[in-house]
Amino acid sequence: MNSNILLIRRAIVKLIKQPSAPLMGFGMSLFFLIVYNAGIGGVGYLDIFEGKGYLSFLFPMTIISLAMGSSAGAGQTLNSDMQSGYFKRLYFSPASRWALVIAPMIADVISSLFFTGILLCVGALFGVTFQYGLLSVLGILLLSLLWSVTLSGFSAGVMIRTGQHQSAALVTNAVFLLIFLSTTFLPRELITAKWLLAASWGNPATYILEGCRYLLAGTSDAWFFNIALVLFSITTIISLLFALSSARKMKIQYP
Amino acid sequence: MKMEAEIVVSNLVKSYSNNMKALKGIDLRVAKGDFFTLLGPNGAGKSTLIKVLTTLLVKDSGEFTIGGINPEQEKAKIQTYIGVASQENEIDPNEKVENLLVFQGRLFGLSYSEAKLRAEELINLFQLAEYRSKRSETLSGGYKRRLHCALALVHRPKVLFLDEPTVGMDPLARANFWEVINQLNKKETTTIFLTTQYLDEADKNANAMAFILNGKIEYSGTISEFKNKVSKSEAMSLDDSYLEFIKSLSNN
Repeated sequence: MNSNILLIRRAIVKLIKQPSAPLMGFGMSLFFLIVYNAGIGGVGYLDIFEGKGYLSFLFPMTIISLAMGSSAGAGQTLNSDMQSGYFKRLYFSPASRWALVIAPMIADVISSLFFTGILLCVGALFGVTFQYGLLSVLGILLLSLLWSVTLSGFSAGVMIRTGQHQSAALVTNAVFLLIFLSTTFLPRELITAKWLLAASWGNPATYILEGCRYLLAGTSDAWFFNIALVLFSITTIISLLFALSSARKMKIQYP
Repeated sequence: MKMEAEIVVSNLVKSYSNNMKALKGIDLRVAKGDFFTLLGPNGAGKSTLIKVLTTLLVKDSGEFTIGGINPEQEKAKIQTYIGVASQENEIDPNEKVENLLVFQGRLFGLSYSEAKLRAEELINLFQLAEYRSKRSETLSGGYKRRLHCALALVHRPKVLFLDEPTVGMDPLARANFWEVINQLNKKETTTIFLTTQYLDEADKNANAMAFILNGKIEYSGTISEFKNKVSKSEAMSLDDSYLEFIKSLSNN
């Protein structure tokens, strides 16, 4: 078996054995969904929700926060290999440098898609609607894929360049802020602060949220989904290039 | 008869970002099958030289080849030609001993059954049988060190770089370790490039040496020639000759 494939397999097995990062992302997403729906779910009776309820409106938030948790995984895997010194051993092997960085990213993305699938099942059980049936599911998985590659790539790249786990967590923290600067909890029409409205337009998370809402309850426009696809295809490419260029510049840190 | 050269270094220079010149034009030749040791005080440039030779650091200028390969141009080739056991252990703490060895073999292109066989050989060689199914983090310092060195040997390298390999090993483990390395050197004609502060180990095992001080090679030749040069007596220990040599350099 090719050494690069072996590294990818190792990263997946490692994630299965130590699933704390994706489980945390999953748990956090579910927690937010339950708590916010319980706390302010009553607003779902307002006309603006078109009778589709609050759960379907809130559900896309879980897709964003799930990938946020999972994306830390690539950084964590790289970090634990660097801390133990095992990364040097892998570096001395015939495996290519890009594979050292891409392998944990692939494991992250697979786990992100897996848990997105579970979230979709949980959502369906509790009454989340899928406007276009299977196409909606595929569309959400596609957005989740692009979003998690974007985050994993930046997380892994920062980790490689700085060699510090704390730096990789910057990506997660930045995304956490994005959740609150968007239409995550209420539709644009109910947001009164002009600065928050303006921020939401410039916030990439908004396009994933609204794109998912188009696919789920149908309460948003199709162009949000289209913009999300284009935008996150671009960020995915940039993030991959960043991770690969980090791999190319990779230096093993010695004391 | 002049032995075929395995490692050839000429006028190698390496500076760090603070403008400190760690290597100031190193010239060195290590013959194929030699058990070579690079000696020198802390900060003399030993580890920097190993890092440059094993492509962990990029040289400023000069040339070097290992087995006729230019490591900077043929990285994939050099990685299968050399094995490196550096000062720090390079082990996945969550993985079992046998699995680590098998995985390492597979990374170097062995099939699963070949890798399993090679792992078995190394487990026996380094007396790790008792710990094969244990996670490496549960091993004692000495056994971790054995595993670390075993991992460097999985792909049967032609040149083995050992950077202070016996630090943390108890005397028995050290004796066993040198037995294994000598076996490799004699039976498989693996060239050994060793740096150590335990001069008794170098004295006992190595045949060739170089002495590095302030980034310059001050002596290169056999150990017995070194002793003769310094003290006119081969009976003198390498420890004493080393100290004598440093004294004479500082007097000059």
